[in-house]
Amino acid sequence: MLSPNAQKILADYMSLPFPGVTGVRCPYFINTRVGRRGQIRSLIGKGTPTEIVEEAKIISIQYQHGLFDHEGHCCIDDERHSPHCHSERSEESLSKHKIVEDSSVVSLYQDDRQNDCIRRFLIDNQLGIDCSGFATHILRAHFLETKKIDIAKKLVKNIPAGLTRKIIMRLRPVESIGVKSGYGNDRNTAKLGDETIGYDFAKIQTGDVVVMLGVDTKNTRNHILVITDYDGHTIKYAHARAWSSEGKFGHGVNTGEIKITAPGKGLLAQEWTEISPALSADLFHQANANETFGEAKNAKILEIRRIKL
Amino acid sequence: MDFCGPFSIELLKQALLYLIASCVGAFLWAPLLTKLLYKYKLTRRGDADFTLRGERAGKIGTPIMGGLLVVVTVTVITLLFNWQRSSTYVPMGAMMVAALLGAADDILNIFGIKRRERKLKQIWTLIRIHRHWYVRLWYFITFPWHAFARAVAMLGSKQNRGIQVHEKLFLQFIAGSIVAYWIYFKLGTYWHSVHIPFDGQLALGWLIIPIIILFVMFTANAVNIADGLDGLAGGSLIASFAGLTMIAWAEGRPAFTLLNATVTGALIAYTYFNVKPARFQMGDVGSLGLGALFAVNAIAINKTLLIPILGFIFYIEAITVILQVFSRRLLGRRIFKMSPLHHHFEFIGWSEEKIVTRFWLIHSFMVVVGVWMALY
Repeated sequence: MLSPNAQKILADYMSLPFPGVTGVRCPYFINTRVGRRGQIRSLIGKGTPTEIVEEAKIISIQYQHGLFDHEGHCCIDDERHSPHCHSERSEESLSKHKIVEDSSVVSLYQDDRQNDCIRRFLIDNQLGIDCSGFATHILRAHFLETKKIDIAKKLVKNIPAGLTRKIIMRLRPVESIGVKSGYGNDRNTAKLGDETIGYDFAKIQTGDVVVMLGVDTKNTRNHILVITDYDGHTIKYAHARAWSSEGKFGHGVNTGEIKITAPGKGLLAQEWTEISPALSADLFHQANANETFGEAKNAKILEIRRIKL
Repeated sequence: MDFCGPFSIELLKQALLYLIASCVGAFLWAPLLTKLLYKYKLTRRGDADFTLRGERAGKIGTPIMGGLLVVVTVTVITLLFNWQRSSTYVPMGAMMVAALLGAADDILNIFGIKRRERKLKQIWTLIRIHRHWYVRLWYFITFPWHAFARAVAMLGSKQNRGIQVHEKLFLQFIAGSIVAYWIYFKLGTYWHSVHIPFDGQLALGWLIIPIIILFVMFTANAVNIADGLDGLAGGSLIASFAGLTMIAWAEGRPAFTLLNATVTGALIAYTYFNVKPARFQMGDVGSLGLGALFAVNAIAINKTLLIPILGFIFYIEAITVILQVFSRRLLGRRIFKMSPLHHHFEFIGWSEEKIVTRFWLIHSFMVVVGVWMALY
């Protein structure tokens, strides 16, 4: 199990700590395409849940979006308030409640509408978390509590860079850690196994990571899963990802599991399960969609690694 | 430098007369100024300013360049009754230069067109591939200037219209340099030292030149930054100039006592029209001009080191902006919800009136502290 603080951060990513609103899952955002430089870390996909919430409130008030009041409370009570509430309901809430007949569901709908509005607002304003930022925040909290080690500072020390970049990395460690440079780096992490040499599943621990390098056809994208629990049969993981089947507003932080059904074989031979909060069961099957597993299959390198402490 | 006896009752009477005259004079022509500002459409526009939405939408259409009320009143009274080459010449010159710069910025912000911003990489490409050799040469020669512009832009300056921040800084540097040159080379050794409270005088020699430039530039921009809420800069400047008047009177410097009293009087009239809901706003013409005048007047009465205390709220506002920018760029985090500081309090729900009143009170208290320190 992850440490209590790491679990709290994971729970906060799954339901961002907006006052009075629950269930707003943190969206996925990666800065590579936008290319913001020298910005606040919540604007470049590396913020903590609290920072993302704070930035959302600031943007909402500064640009008069009307989502939050000055105390930070959500003030969406009807659809006039925000342009983010006008469009059709998101896939996420549609999949949850198809029929609104029971009165108890109406209040759930109210909550869902708030969640939808806030999520759309976050996505429209490019607020979210990328996979390496998510992993770093979770693991940083976990190892700070269990081993009293700040892994962010430790990991950046071994990332090769010039003098200027080294200074920047010391000042902004979390932002400087990528999947390949931070977690795929032999000086930072030790390989526990890969698809060719196989895995000793008994050795896997909470806090290990599944590193996937080159998950796209161009061999440029990488991905990382954080192992949040392992009981000898099932690896539970959490990650920040964007599945294409989930559309523009369905992506974000999610959890999944890998059941070890064939112990002598590689990770790809095991049973991967990840339920999409944004897709109904039908849509999920139509889309043929455990895209995380798809990425694992496409990855040029698929490894389980442990951080050297 | 002219002196009379300290705490002279005659000088006090004269100063109060100047204060009353400038206040009444400013009140009298304020309606004309308002009419002119409306006539020439020198008003705030919503399309160019994203902050003018929601609660602030009421500010759209408010005339800017209201600072002309103070600048013109002070200039006229000083030119007619208090013009002395050895004393008021330099402060008035500094104010005029800064006010002209501010006026140009105000006008261009309203009527100017959006300006293109090229990245250094694009300019370097143009240096290599442009078909005309003289254009390539021009870009090559001006490359350091573009690098400076990009460096300033990276620190958060995103102004499309008007005079851009790097240009403003450059022009302010030129203005500050002229003032410093004039003070150092033309006005004699009296101006070459600074007063250290509780200690005495410190002769700085030529080092006074960068100090003057720094203080003039920083103070002018600090007042400009603080001019973000109705009545804030105007009311705070009243306290600052009143403090300078008292110090100059206590030290027996007639020209500066009268000049500061004149500014205080005009500012009272200005602030009357500027409190929420503002009849007009100061604009850069007023904030840069009066900021520069405040700094030069303080330097002139040898209270350079007290400028941060006599201009407390302006310095706090400017420092919060600097801290926020550095924290944002270097650490990737915010120190304040927003900067300058008054926006931080606005963000956490304080009303505009509450912020302005509290800032006035804090500032006035610090001015009293500054005056007390100046007497030692």
